[in-house]
Amino acid sequence: MAQLQEYKCPACGGALEFNAGIQKVKCPYCDTEYEMETLEKLDEQLKQEAEQKDDLKWENKPGSEWQENEKENMVMYSCESCGGQIVCDRETAATTCPYCDNPVVMVGNFKGNLRPDYVIPFQLDKKAAKEKFWSYLKDKRLLPKVFKTETHIDEIKGVYVPFWLFDADVNAHMRYKATRVETWSDSDYNYTKTNYYSIIRRGTVGFERVPVDGSSKMPDDLMESLEPFDFSQAVDFQTAYLAGYLADKYDVSEEQSENRANARIRNSTESVFRSTVNGYATVTQESSSIRFSNGNASYALFPVWLLNTTWRGTRYTFAMNGQTGKFVGNLPTDWGAYWRWLLSIAGGVGAAIYAVMWLWALL
Amino acid sequence: MKKIRNSLTAVLFLLVCFLPVFLSDPALAAAIPESRQKPLVVDEAELLTPQEEESLLARLEEISERQKCDVALVTVNSLDGKTIRNFADDFFDYNGYGWGSADDGLILVVDMKTRQWWISTHAYAITAFTDAGIDYIGDKISGSLSSGNYANAFFKYASLCDDFLTEARKGTPYDTGHLPKEKPGVLMLLLALGIGGVAGLIVVTVMRSQLKNVKPQESAQNYMTREGLRLSEERDLFMYSKTHRTARPKDTGGSSSSSSGSSTHTSSSGRSHGGGGGRF
Repeated sequence: MAQLQEYKCPACGGALEFNAGIQKVKCPYCDTEYEMETLEKLDEQLKQEAEQKDDLKWENKPGSEWQENEKENMVMYSCESCGGQIVCDRETAATTCPYCDNPVVMVGNFKGNLRPDYVIPFQLDKKAAKEKFWSYLKDKRLLPKVFKTETHIDEIKGVYVPFWLFDADVNAHMRYKATRVETWSDSDYNYTKTNYYSIIRRGTVGFERVPVDGSSKMPDDLMESLEPFDFSQAVDFQTAYLAGYLADKYDVSEEQSENRANARIRNSTESVFRSTVNGYATVTQESSSIRFSNGNASYALFPVWLLNTTWRGTRYTFAMNGQTGKFVGNLPTDWGAYWRWLLSIAGGVGAAIYAVMWLWALL
Repeated sequence: MKKIRNSLTAVLFLLVCFLPVFLSDPALAAAIPESRQKPLVVDEAELLTPQEEESLLARLEEISERQKCDVALVTVNSLDGKTIRNFADDFFDYNGYGWGSADDGLILVVDMKTRQWWISTHAYAITAFTDAGIDYIGDKISGSLSSGNYANAFFKYASLCDDFLTEARKGTPYDTGHLPKEKPGVLMLLLALGIGGVAGLIVVTVMRSQLKNVKPQESAQNYMTREGLRLSEERDLFMYSKTHRTARPKDTGGSSSSSSGSSTHTSSSGRSHGGGGGRF
C-alpha cells in the first residue's frame, strides 16, 4: 500500500486515518467519513492557497508636470486659522477659507505639486446650490428653527477637490465552507442531516476610477457621501476651468490614499464573489486571496459646493456634488422637539391602544 | 279503643287518598316544597356582618326577580356527612329553591370545614351556567374566599350570575370559547404605553436619521467595470455530512379538545342538576 499522506480533518482538524473496513477515510476524533478523492481535491486547494499572498500593489504613477505658463496664471492663498491652502486663478480673488470661513491671505505664485490629469467641470451654479440647500433643510422636523435663519448661505463656495482615482483588475481566489440541511423523520426520530461543502471561486473583476479624497482638509466620509461622480463628463485638465472657483491641491499622497481604495475594492470583490455562491443554508468565507493587476492611479479635480456654518459653537460642514446636486451634511438636533415628539407619540399611541383594549372588552 | 281504631282508619283513609301522589313521584316528591322555605342568603357559618348580609340579600333578590331565576348562596360549617355536591343539590331541592314552576335557579355552597365551594344549578340555570362558566366564576371568587374577603366574593358572585343570566337570555350562554372578556387593567395600560413608547422611538429615530446623511462608503460597487465578474473556476465540492436525530415527542393519544356545555347528574330527589366546584 502506498504511503498515506497525512490529511487533516476538515471538520475538526484532527489527523485522519484510512479505515479498511469501510474503504473510506474516517476521522478517529469526530467520526466523520470522507471519500479519498474529496480529500485529495481539498488538499490541492490548500496548497494553492499557501502559495498565494494578497498583492495590492499599484503600478503607474498619476499626474504630470505643470507647464510654466499654466503656473503663472495661478496664485496661492493660505488660511492663517486652519492652515488650508487653496489655489485660484489671478482673476478670482479669494477672501475667506472654504473650510473654516476665516480670512485667507495670498502667499504668492503657485508652485510645486502635480498637474491633475482630469477635471469634472461644475455643472450646477451657486443658485442651484442654494436651492438644494433649502430643499435639504425642508421637512426636517427635528432641525432647530433658528438654524435656517442663522445660516450664511451666501458664503457657499465652489471648490475643486483633489481626488486620486484608482483603476485595477482584481484576480481573486476565494474559498467558502457552506452547508445544506436536509430534515426528515420516521415514526421515532426527527433527523437533521447537514452536508458540508467546500466552495471554490476564482475569477477576475475590474474596477475603474475608485475615488479617494486627496485633501486632508476635507473629511473623507463627507466626500464619500457625495459619490458617485459621473466620470463620463470628465475632461482633460485645463487651467481655464478654474476661473471663478477655488481649487485645493492634494496634501494626502497617492500612497497614503491607496489603503482606502484597497479596502473598498476588497469589500466589493468579496461581496461580488460571495453573491455567486447560492443555494446553501450557511456560507462562511474560509480564505481569500486578492491580487491586483494593471493597477493604475490618476489625479483629478471634482466639483464640490462647500458651506460652513457655526451654530452654538459647533461647526457644520455641508457639501453638494457640483455635478449631480447630491447634498450632504449632518444637521443639529433640536432635543426639545425630539422629546416633544417622542412623548406625544408615545402618549397618543399608548392611549389609542388602551382605548381599543377597552372597546374590545366591552363589545 | 274505638278512638284509636277511628284514628287508624282516618290515617289509612288519608294514605289511600294520597297514594296516587306518592306513586306518581315515588322518590320523596312530597319532600320538595312548593315554595321557597329559606331566604336566598343562608349564612350558617357567620361569615358576613348583618349589614353585609342584608345588602347581599337585597341584591340577590333583585337579581332573582329581574332574571326570573333564583340566585342563592349558603355558607356552612358542616356538610352533614354528604359530599358537597349532594349537599348542594339537596339543600336546593328540599328547601324549595327555584323560580317558577320549573324551579330555575342555582345555589353556591361554601363549606368552611373542608374549605370547598360548589355551585349547583337546576333547570334554566343548567343552560345559563355551563361547566366552563362555573369554573370561570370559581376562578373569580376563590381568591377572595381564600383571603377571607367573603362579602367581596359573594357580591362578585352575584354580579357574575347577573351577567351570565343576561348573556344566556340573549341565547348565547357563556361557555368554552365564549367567556366574559377581561377588562384591561393597569398592566395593560403599561403595555399600551410601552408599545406607544416604542412607536415614538421609531418615529423620532427616523426623524433624526434624516438629519444625518454623512457616512463612509465601504463598497466600490459603483466603480466595477461593465463586464463585471468573470469566473475562471467554480467548484462546489461535497466534503462530508453529519446527521443528528432527536426522538420525536410521543403523542399521548388523549385528545385535549376542551369540552363545552353543561354536564348533569341526578340528585337524591330524582331531579337533574348541573354544577361544579373547587377548593379555596
